[in-house]
Amino acid sequence: MGCDILKTIEEINQKIKDGDAVVVTASEMTEIVAEYGPREAAREVDVVTTGTFGAMCSSGAFLNFGHSDPPIKMSKTYLNGVEAYSGLAAVDAYIGAAQPNKDPELGLDYGGAHVIEDLIKGEEINLVAEAYGTDCYPLKHVETLITLDKLNQAIMLNPRNCYQNYAVAVNSTDETLYTYMGTLLPNYGNVTYSSAGELSPLINDPYFQTIGFGTRVFLCGTEGYIVGEGTQHSTDVERRHGVPTTSAGTLMLKGDMKKMKPEFLKAATMPKYGPTLYVGVGIPIPVLNEDVAASTGISDEDIICKVVDYGVPRRERPIVKETNYRELKTGKIEINGMEVPTSPLSSLKRARIIAEELKKLIEKGEFLLTSPVYRLPSRGYTLNPLEIRKPSMMVRELESKPVIVTHPDDDIKDVARKLVDNNINHIPVVDKKGVLKGIVTSWDVADAVAKGKTRLRDVMTKKVIIAREDEPVEVVARRIDKYNISGLPIVDSDNRVKGIITAEDISRLVGKIDKGGESI
Amino acid sequence: MKAWLRFLPSIIGKAIISEAIKKYDIEFNILRAHITPRGGKMLVDISGPEERESIKFIEERGIEVKPIIKVVKKDKDKCIDCGACISLCPVKAINMEEDFTVEIDDQVCIGCGFCTKSCPTKSIMLFE
Repeated sequence: MGCDILKTIEEINQKIKDGDAVVVTASEMTEIVAEYGPREAAREVDVVTTGTFGAMCSSGAFLNFGHSDPPIKMSKTYLNGVEAYSGLAAVDAYIGAAQPNKDPELGLDYGGAHVIEDLIKGEEINLVAEAYGTDCYPLKHVETLITLDKLNQAIMLNPRNCYQNYAVAVNSTDETLYTYMGTLLPNYGNVTYSSAGELSPLINDPYFQTIGFGTRVFLCGTEGYIVGEGTQHSTDVERRHGVPTTSAGTLMLKGDMKKMKPEFLKAATMPKYGPTLYVGVGIPIPVLNEDVAASTGISDEDIICKVVDYGVPRRERPIVKETNYRELKTGKIEINGMEVPTSPLSSLKRARIIAEELKKLIEKGEFLLTSPVYRLPSRGYTLNPLEIRKPSMMVRELESKPVIVTHPDDDIKDVARKLVDNNINHIPVVDKKGVLKGIVTSWDVADAVAKGKTRLRDVMTKKVIIAREDEPVEVVARRIDKYNISGLPIVDSDNRVKGIITAEDISRLVGKIDKGGESI
Repeated sequence: MKAWLRFLPSIIGKAIISEAIKKYDIEFNILRAHITPRGGKMLVDISGPEERESIKFIEERGIEVKPIIKVVKKDKDKCIDCGACISLCPVKAINMEEDFTVEIDDQVCIGCGFCTKSCPTKSIMLFE
């Protein structure tokens, strides 16, 4: 990065004020650099505008409601039924975008993101707060209506926005998955990706030569600020053309909700996953030198990313292949010789509108650039995992009872006897080598008797939900919960039945089934 | 032409459609079907030179034919053009235009409803 400074931010700002600044979007810059090269581009272009409009779960807002009379120290706060965290003084709360509604009828359909959007649209929001009561704050309950203009402050503060690149999702299993990467069809049926590619802010300044604490940005229709690196900021990752090939740098962003415009943010719900907020962000990049010009000239084709199998619900998910954003934006990529359709998830249309909007603001002299107080760290950051002190128990470690099996040609009567004699409800059906062929429950047997069927192969369920020996028990617990089943066979890598695990075994072990997940 | 065909229980056992296909020069594509012994309905696409004659024929045999004008509609105010629906459509009725606008082709849509359930902003509506 030993490039000489060609111009300073002050000089660029003077040009903006004089109406002489040359401003282009990141997409336009890609073409300019391709045609004239970075040296010439750096001389000609002063500012490159970027944009993204993606689902950013890690967003939220601090609200200050003002004091009631008599006063209250809110300890549990709900906005239209969505809990906001209020373990802060008396009348402050933080509403997180991904918080579901406490009303199970609304659940994931109206969450924190929807409260934020409705506030910005100027709608009335129902506020309910509970308190324990103190000498200075005697009131223990309040219910009223609030609007954005009556709040003292409504400060959007997003702990993690604008991921620098991200994984591309696919699903290898034979069931549909509902994830923060949207709906993933079985057997590699579709592909979803979330980065805006060459328009995406942090991809255009991969080593943060110009971006840092204090950088003024376009946030949801008004000006916002970068208040440092975001959570999960990481830098020491694989790079290609300088750009991380996976999720890396992040931003913490702050802005005044009272000035935001509804068309630059949108509440959404990822089906069966949860609420999230689409946040519109545009970052201006001052073209200080040839290096910056080269970085902002990057094309979709040169931004490499990894297709990752979300069918494996573990921290380290298998990488299926590499691709790039030019390929993804064609609407299909090839996986295992098949053409698979792609979905962007983030709005490329609005990303482009934001980059254009920011360009216009700068050209009109209404948006000046800032020198960051410090540049975002571009090395030395890696992610620490959360180590579970008591490691997950693997299915293999479960003490399962000696497994009772039956064979496809067995008579129903014999199967019924086995169920009764052993006081069990499921029997795996196996072939001569012990390989799983199906499962039969006491209900199936009763049904067979009622319908006059005698042979097991006509009665058994052939598509069996299984547990593998090398899976954590929690993963199997989630499966039992999802399919609402009472038990499933444990199989080894050759599909030979090793045991059976029941919902009762699991609940004894795990207690309450944890429904936690990751967020974008 | 896309249409809902309604079957009364009394005609469930009759092979009216196959008769129509044999008799007339038409292409007959079943998009959705729900038929039980108590009657049922079928969403179909009928086309070809003898489309009109074939429809007259099946109507005379007791099938109620209700043409549909619209299958699906995108709420332009709610849609953010994120494209989550595009890769889920089994018949490629949803596409991204040059300017990244998401468009749904009503002529291609079979009304399966997969996109409506998966839309993050609930912007897609089906007509019954």
